[in-house]
Amino acid sequence: MNSVQSLIQPQFLAQVGFVGIVALTFAGALIAVFPRNILYNVLGLIVCLTGVAGIFVYLGSPFVALMELLIYVGAICISIIFAIMLSRPLHLSLPKRRLPKVGLAMGVGAVVFIALSTIIFRTAWEPALVRSDDWSVTTLGKYLLTRYDLVFEAISLVLLVAILGAIVISGYARRSPS
Amino acid sequence: MTSSWFQDPTLLAAMLGALLPFVSFVLIIVFTRPYPKLSAAISVASISVSVVCAIFLLSSHWHLEQPIQYAGKWLISGEMYIPFGFLLDELSLLMLTIVAVISFLVQVYSLGYMAGDPGFARYYAFQSLFAWAMMTMSIAPTMLQFYIFWELVGLASYLLIGFYYEKFSASEAGKKAFVMTRAGDIAFFLGLLLVLLNFGNLNVLDMNSVDVTARMSPGLITLSALLVFGGVIGKSAQFPLITWLPDAMEGPTPVSALLHSATMVAAGVYMFARIFPFYSKSASAMAVFLAIGTITMLLASTMAIVTRDIKQVWAYSTVSQLGFMVMGLAAGSYFAGVFHLTTHAGFKALLFLCSGVLIHEYETNDMFEIGKHGGRGLKIPMVCMTLAAAALSGIPFLSGYFSKEAIMGALANLHNPIWLVGGLLGAFLTAYYSFRLIFIILFPSKIEEVHHTEHGGHSAGHGHDAHHHAGLYWVMAWPLIILATVTVVLGFFQAPLENFLLGHHGVAEGHGGGHHAWLPWVAVGLAVSGVGLAWLEFGRKGASQVGFVERIEPVRTLFAERWYMDHFYRLFLDYVIYGIFSNLFTRNDRRVIDGGIDGICRATVGGGWVLSFLQSGMLQYNLMVMFAVLALVALYFFF
Amino acid sequence: MNSLYTYLFIAALLFSLGIFGVFQRRSLIGMLIAIELMLNAASINFMAFNRFLAPDPIVGQIYTLFIMGIAAAEAAIALSIIVAVFRRLRSINIERAQELRG
Repeated sequence: MNSVQSLIQPQFLAQVGFVGIVALTFAGALIAVFPRNILYNVLGLIVCLTGVAGIFVYLGSPFVALMELLIYVGAICISIIFAIMLSRPLHLSLPKRRLPKVGLAMGVGAVVFIALSTIIFRTAWEPALVRSDDWSVTTLGKYLLTRYDLVFEAISLVLLVAILGAIVISGYARRSPS
Repeated sequence: MTSSWFQDPTLLAAMLGALLPFVSFVLIIVFTRPYPKLSAAISVASISVSVVCAIFLLSSHWHLEQPIQYAGKWLISGEMYIPFGFLLDELSLLMLTIVAVISFLVQVYSLGYMAGDPGFARYYAFQSLFAWAMMTMSIAPTMLQFYIFWELVGLASYLLIGFYYEKFSASEAGKKAFVMTRAGDIAFFLGLLLVLLNFGNLNVLDMNSVDVTARMSPGLITLSALLVFGGVIGKSAQFPLITWLPDAMEGPTPVSALLHSATMVAAGVYMFARIFPFYSKSASAMAVFLAIGTITMLLASTMAIVTRDIKQVWAYSTVSQLGFMVMGLAAGSYFAGVFHLTTHAGFKALLFLCSGVLIHEYETNDMFEIGKHGGRGLKIPMVCMTLAAAALSGIPFLSGYFSKEAIMGALANLHNPIWLVGGLLGAFLTAYYSFRLIFIILFPSKIEEVHHTEHGGHSAGHGHDAHHHAGLYWVMAWPLIILATVTVVLGFFQAPLENFLLGHHGVAEGHGGGHHAWLPWVAVGLAVSGVGLAWLEFGRKGASQVGFVERIEPVRTLFAERWYMDHFYRLFLDYVIYGIFSNLFTRNDRRVIDGGIDGICRATVGGGWVLSFLQSGMLQYNLMVMFAVLALVALYFFF
Repeated sequence: MNSLYTYLFIAALLFSLGIFGVFQRRSLIGMLIAIELMLNAASINFMAFNRFLAPDPIVGQIYTLFIMGIAAAEAAIALSIIVAVFRRLRSINIERAQELRG
């Protein structure tokens, strides 16, 4: 009974959940990068991003996690699937992977990873002296509209410009004879 | 010094005499080449001034106590000091006079001989160049200045030998002369360098003094003496560099008279006499010189016996007599060698000039042709030539007799009789070939009285104007008469000359030794028998006109081909120089130097090709490189 | 397990995988997917700093929202570019786009 109780202690469950979510993330990432079939990649990305949303929960912000699911998985990945369908790369033959390129890419990736790890583990991270405890969404909304409203407006502007740009690029291409 | 040079008559005379011909050369080359008569006038005027200056110097310094030296600072490097200037002692004054007088006579003679030649002005320019170089060389105080003007003399010789440059054989002969004398000069320069490095300076007076033995070891003295003698071998056409002198006869005859008999080739012997004390310090070197001189004398005499060309006979004779002078000097008798040089200059120039008149008249060099066409009709040249040939052979009381006796005496004083035997044999042969030529022309087997024939000869074509002809003839005749007089008279000046040359300081001279009373008789006897043999074979009526050597065909061929020396040189050039060295250097040039540069180019191109993969245009590779560099930099900063 | 280092490590690993994908994928959409991975890794980084180091936890979240907005914009533009490239090269294979080849 003690072992079962110890099994379902919240701390322990949290740990197990954390490991599971991290595994999910990495599995998704691997599926997003390695297979050659692009639909697998997109689905892997969706799995990975879901895992990342779970990690955000563990990092104390369920709001951001939900935003992640909404924006990334719900919008971006769907639009990628749209693009895949519209450009129909599935019907094109997939050329064989060239080993030197893969090897080189893996090498450089490893180097980058080592560099990052070095930076992480060699820096003396010091938490701030006075830390606030306010994690509520209310505060987030208040700050977003008062103190950081420039950010809000800026992101809106960026999105507007991006949409316009996307339309223009696609529109020009359609008008030119091809 | 510069302010007083006008006031010192000796210095003034020396400078004027030596430098005026240079001024004349420059003037003619730069300004007056289109005006032949003006050029000739400038040249003859400058050489006349030189003659006057030379005679003035000789006469005013007849009783010279010490050599006069004028020196200015020239080459100073650390401890080495080489001045330039003039050295006036007995020997140099004598040589200066000889050169000036004979140059003057030849230039006057050339007014007639070269008249009408298109290169008239150029000829006089080169004659002036030669006169300047030779005279300055005679009075040079250091061996370096001597060497410089020695080379200039060689240059003048090259220019004058190749004077008829359109003729291939003439330009080839000029090139041959220059290259062969150059080979000797390389040894000369090496010897000078040895002396300079070990002795410290190249002053003639210092080299002749006893300081040399103090500072240079005997082996070193012998080595440098042998090397410096290389210049004598080259310039005076001694064995083994004989063959350029006969080929040098391609030049105009006055050039042969001046350069290649009397003065330029005598420069080698003059150099021997100039540093005679230096050479005498090495007995082994002197022995080598004696051998070289003897071999040369005999070889050249044999070559002269079989040739048909007038100038070739006198050319071989010059080589032979130069060998004889070298023998005299190497036997230890300074005076004998120099005296023979003086007398030889006189009668050999005379021989060439007389031959020049004959060649000019009959336009052929072949003595049989000249005889057949009535060469003996030209009286003044024939008389002078006979006189000179007699002097050459050593017929008594002409100048050649006295100088040859002097040398024979020196040879007799040596231990080994073989040298004397060689000298006497040479005297016999000399008489034989000289009178062979005389008799062939005087008593030809057939006479065809044809004057003014136009078959191809060796002189350039010129018009025959009768009135002009007479005037030109006398211009050519007067030098002949003057030289003939000198030939007859000079011998009687032996004693005063000897006093002059040797007088006050004991130049290494063995005037002692036994007076061999039998020697003159033997020598004269040999000379007369040589003349007699020539008379037998060529002179008397009904003579066969074929010499005793010419009957033996292989021997005749051997002598006519110059003992195959030219063939040997050709083979040596082709197989050793061209085959080995030129080949080596060509390959080095092509493979190493060109190959190296090509290799650099190819490496650059190849390197670029190798690195061009970076410019593949592939975005992902560029990204890889960027991130790799960033990561490595981050690693570097954090480790 | 619940320390800063874990999350940073996870973010670094994801970033490396994303970089590997960018280098190695041959189709443009594949590269885009990998780029999204990289962006998410950065977001995790920010959130981790926010949780463990930052004085004010709101700021990190706002920043992460910002990143997401940018990612969306970028995805839209990237997809339209891919469409345009496809129309020109008839392919979305990046190895075909080598006109700057030296």
